[in-house]
Amino acid sequence: MSRRHPLRRFPSVLMAWRNLGRNRVRTALATLGILIGVVAIASLGMATAAIQQQATANLEGLSNEVTVSAGPDNPNDGISAEQVDDIERLASGATVVPERSNVTTLSSRNGAETRVSVTALTKADAMYNISRGRISNRFRSGALLSQADARRLGIEVGDPVTYDGKIYRVQGILSSSQGLGGQRRVLVLPLSSMDDQNYYDSVTILTEPEQSVQALTANIESSFNTADEDIVRVRNFASVQQNVGSFLSTLRLGLLGIGSISLVVASVAILNVMLMSTVERRGEIGVLRAVGITRGEVLRMILTEAVFLGIIGGVLGVVVSAGIGVVLFEFLVGSPANAFRWQSVQYLLYGMLFAVAASAISGLYPAWKAANERPVEALRD
Amino acid sequence: MSVIVLEDAIKRYQTGGEVIDALASVDFRADRGEMVTIIGPSGSGKSTLLNMVGLLDTPTAGRVRLNGRDVTDFSTDELTEERRSDIGFVFQDYHLLPMLTATENVELPTMWDTEVDRRDRAVELLNRVGLSDRLTHKPPQLSGGQRQRVAIARALVNEPDVLLADEPTGNLDQDTGATILDELTRLKKSENIAIVAVTHDEQLVEYSDRVVELVDGSLNT
Repeated sequence: MSRRHPLRRFPSVLMAWRNLGRNRVRTALATLGILIGVVAIASLGMATAAIQQQATANLEGLSNEVTVSAGPDNPNDGISAEQVDDIERLASGATVVPERSNVTTLSSRNGAETRVSVTALTKADAMYNISRGRISNRFRSGALLSQADARRLGIEVGDPVTYDGKIYRVQGILSSSQGLGGQRRVLVLPLSSMDDQNYYDSVTILTEPEQSVQALTANIESSFNTADEDIVRVRNFASVQQNVGSFLSTLRLGLLGIGSISLVVASVAILNVMLMSTVERRGEIGVLRAVGITRGEVLRMILTEAVFLGIIGGVLGVVVSAGIGVVLFEFLVGSPANAFRWQSVQYLLYGMLFAVAASAISGLYPAWKAANERPVEALRD
Repeated sequence: MSVIVLEDAIKRYQTGGEVIDALASVDFRADRGEMVTIIGPSGSGKSTLLNMVGLLDTPTAGRVRLNGRDVTDFSTDELTEERRSDIGFVFQDYHLLPMLTATENVELPTMWDTEVDRRDRAVELLNRVGLSDRLTHKPPQLSGGQRQRVAIARALVNEPDVLLADEPTGNLDQDTGATILDELTRLKKSENIAIVAVTHDEQLVEYSDRVVELVDGSLNT
């Protein structure tokens, strides 16, 4: 006796599976359509997730920063030492870093030249991360240089750089990702290198986690400025972060919309395929109806076929999209494993659900039409 | 008692303002253990009559009784249920599903009844029609006579009371046709069923217990 087919308990599934196997090219093409739709939705979704992750990571470094610089009505050419003391009092507990800045041209032994901005400060360790070398917490001598310039000029840790006629030894190379100004070309020197300047160009306040950036900003503004006198200008990145966040949401919606269009196109293809195959099998379905298969059973069988197309296309699409996601996260975030965080992996799920739902909806009309054909007419020709 | 009875059955079609009586007041019955053959020229209403007997179509007027029950006013789904439990069909073109094996084709009418497993009966029927070595073959791998025997096994899987055959030998050569008719004659007795056949085939008429002729929608017995 022949073995019972394992799908025999699910006749609609068995029949649907066999029917899809009859015209493999057509099945493959319909599946391909769904696959492309799922890849469009899932990979666009994952791309926005990757962009979002990168943006968040970049902005996080800035989210606790408040920057104070001289306002248009400031009598001095910068922030004075007394004003820095005032700021320190207002921002009790926070790290206050006054900076002086300038621009200079650096040259290397082989004659290459590059223009960089120079920042002079004391608490360099609070402001920068380095990829090579070291930062002393009391930054009194030496220099830090951005990676791009170090590479361009062939400067390594321990090499000398000259600023304003004095030689500084490079202690560390800044890591390339430093917030939004990640690739900023900068030479960081001890505050003493610009002792000739009386005022500070800016004061950066690094708040503690429990401090409110917005409140501190308002506080400093109200104690220095009046309604018609802007002595200082105070900036923070909280609003920037908000703007970037809402921009990314819009971007994601737009991209998902584009992705959905391709899945709609794919489901129209499924509708066409199912309609064609039920028209071709009109006589066969008439036989099913004649020998006692009910309309509901025929409907289920054909709906199952359509859903199968969606599942096969969806699963393949999810596999391809996961691959694309890993590549995207490798390039945009630098961490391929992040592709499998919920933030991005959810789009695989949406793609899959959308594929199955779209296929089922596309299968409804052909299935209904086939099931309700009168067997007498279907068998006639 | 007759298995299937048509009483004063009329089938009227409306085509382009013209009214055509495909069947004009037909009385027909078939009993267990007999083979009734319907003959008649093309367009005489043979297929309409067979559709009526097979509960695939309902009469415009008159009654249809299956095992004494009046099924004339049954709904589409109720008629489907009656076909599934009491009627077997054999078609001229076999109408087997090409992607199913011989056994699965035989099981087809009962495939959706997941609580009853008709596999054993399907295999037994295929053995009985001499196809025990073709159980897992698919229709394209079978000859015309073999396919028709699979179709006969399919028509019997639900233990029907009546088997309807529309030109069962129409696509077969004389010898194969004869073996199929021998088969039907044997099954008619062993299963105690009524067989109603429609044909142009003289050979089939020889095997029949009773022949009725349909001319212009009316029966001459």
